[in-house]
Amino acid sequence: MSDNQPLLRLSGVSFRHAHAAPILNDINLALHPGERVGLMGAIGSGKTTLLHLIVGLLTPHSGQIDILDKPRREERDFWEVRERVGLLFQDPDDQLFCATVQEDVAFGPLNQGKCREEAHQAVHKALALVGMDGLEDRITHHLSGGEKRLVSLATLLAMEPDVLLLDEPENGLDPPSYERIRSLLLSLPQAMIIVSHNAAFLQTVTTRRLRLVEGKVAGAEP
Amino acid sequence: MHITEGVAPASVAAAGALLTAGGVAMGLRAMKDEQIPRAALMSAAIFAASLVIRLPLGPSSVHPVLNGLAGLLLGWAAVPAFLVALFLEALLFQFGGITTLGLNTITMAAPAVVCYAIFNRPLRRCRQKNTAFLLGMAAGVTALLLSFALWAAVLVLSGKSLIVIVKLALIPHLAITAMEGLFTGFVVSFLFKVYPGVFDLPLTREGGVAP
Amino acid sequence: MSCTTHFAGHTVIHRLDPRPRIVATLLFAVFIALDNPYPVLATGLGVGIVLAMLARLPARPLARRLLHINLFMALLFLTLPTTTPGEPAFSIFSLPFSRVGLHLAAMITLKANAIVLAFTALLGTVELSALGHALQHLRVPDRLIHLFLFTLRYLDVIHHAYEDLLRAMKARGFRPRMDLHTYRSYGSLMAMLLVRSLERAERVMDAMKCRGFKGRFLTYRPFDFHRRDAVFCLVATIVLCLCASLRWALPGGPQ
Repeated sequence: MSDNQPLLRLSGVSFRHAHAAPILNDINLALHPGERVGLMGAIGSGKTTLLHLIVGLLTPHSGQIDILDKPRREERDFWEVRERVGLLFQDPDDQLFCATVQEDVAFGPLNQGKCREEAHQAVHKALALVGMDGLEDRITHHLSGGEKRLVSLATLLAMEPDVLLLDEPENGLDPPSYERIRSLLLSLPQAMIIVSHNAAFLQTVTTRRLRLVEGKVAGAEP
Repeated sequence: MHITEGVAPASVAAAGALLTAGGVAMGLRAMKDEQIPRAALMSAAIFAASLVIRLPLGPSSVHPVLNGLAGLLLGWAAVPAFLVALFLEALLFQFGGITTLGLNTITMAAPAVVCYAIFNRPLRRCRQKNTAFLLGMAAGVTALLLSFALWAAVLVLSGKSLIVIVKLALIPHLAITAMEGLFTGFVVSFLFKVYPGVFDLPLTREGGVAP
Repeated sequence: MSCTTHFAGHTVIHRLDPRPRIVATLLFAVFIALDNPYPVLATGLGVGIVLAMLARLPARPLARRLLHINLFMALLFLTLPTTTPGEPAFSIFSLPFSRVGLHLAAMITLKANAIVLAFTALLGTVELSALGHALQHLRVPDRLIHLFLFTLRYLDVIHHAYEDLLRAMKARGFRPRMDLHTYRSYGSLMAMLLVRSLERAERVMDAMKCRGFKGRFLTYRPFDFHRRDAVFCLVATIVLCLCASLRWALPGGPQ
């Protein structure tokens, strides 16, 4: 894959729920290696929907999604996508469904077919990357909000993805955790799409910013 | 209305454990891996509510039991769900016990499955909110009466003299049954309004994952 | 606040592998629940007390649990001797208390206390999800284990959701009374809790799919079996054998 080839490309993608007005209307978007794209827009403008379309949790009404040089249409097409494109959910309580940090981070690698020893190593590596090593045996629902967000990120990194889709990663964090997430995102090599309402945050972590207005990508923000 | 540790003789407790094992096997067979989160979250909601909601009753208040509701929403999966809930209750609060776990599960879950068999289908066909309320109420009342009957049967099997405990419990239990009926009726009619598909869930064999 | 906490600590009991603790507790409980002569039950109670002391169970919560059990036992002591026919041991206000009834109540009380103490000391001290995984090692079906672990994981989350909803109701002037309005309000609260839980289940399922879930759960937690666990197994076996031989040797035991 050459550097000018996008990791993912949406061409004319539209989406609507049954019997409702379209949420996304003819979206064209490409993400290249090394890019960190900020995505803004009012509540209900379809930011989360867009991320869910990319990993196949929702199916577009029309248009085409190409990820890693292949068109992706059916559930099976997305199995590979989900191993290489990590989605961070808004609520860490949805993302962290296992009892302990160790198990939660190991869930992805085990599904990728890694053996227990390999999964164990992936857990250590991912937790060290987000600065949470040593918390392996903590009970997930006893973690603080900031810790939950970082562990959620580690669950994605343990699968060694090429792309990260982050849904409001800085939302509701206290200043130290906010700063930690911010510098962590800057240090990661993956291409990212970051959804946020916080313009200042996106300004410092992303390479370009887009805004969703009435179902369309409305040009670049400064 | 739990059966306390030490009350039931070994033979009765063993029979309870065997029946529960059978019911749990049925319940687990009716559930796929991808349905586990849904079943667990529903049963956690029911379990949490039965611990924290206090319905005023005269000068005191009672906790709802919610096994009728559990049956309507979970079907056979109510058996493993109650086993889990009662195991947690025994661990965390010492309600019931480890040797009586099977008996307590049967006492709670068998009426739930009966309610599922009787009331789930009419509820899915029903078109009126008031009918939904009545069906929910009937499920709540049926479940508690059956539970009481099973509980009484266990005590009498455990020792004829324990029948006096049954007699003492009868009147309070009838009052609780009335509350439970009203409460379940309201929950069911509300669900009927905001989330009518919820009563189809015990039958859905496929979860979110494509084959 | 969490409602799913175990009796945490660092005693010798807490450090033991949960797997042999589960097996020992079950064998002990089942054995004590059999018909036993008094010396065996007294020994069982002694074992329970020793275990509770070794685990340094906090006095107050333990007392609350025991009180809960023994209130029911007090009821048995009042009802059984007065209703069971037989030779009276004594009488109060000309109400005869039969020997058989007293015997029955005493047996149940001893059994219950012995089992509860051992159960709380050995299993109430295991972190709950570790208990789930230990049961998985002991061949309890995977789906049941996952049902247990998911229920555990979301119990507190749902409890918080309940408190939020109740606070919102109270902020609008809701006060529980004994009337239909109260029942209806609690009914809608419960229904909302279920709807929220179902919506969360959808999102959890999505999160699982995003991490490569294809229809089969793969979770695993290893446990280490140390020499102290072997010692525990040995001691537990000896205690159980002693109790058993006491039972069969004594008059009044099974012949």
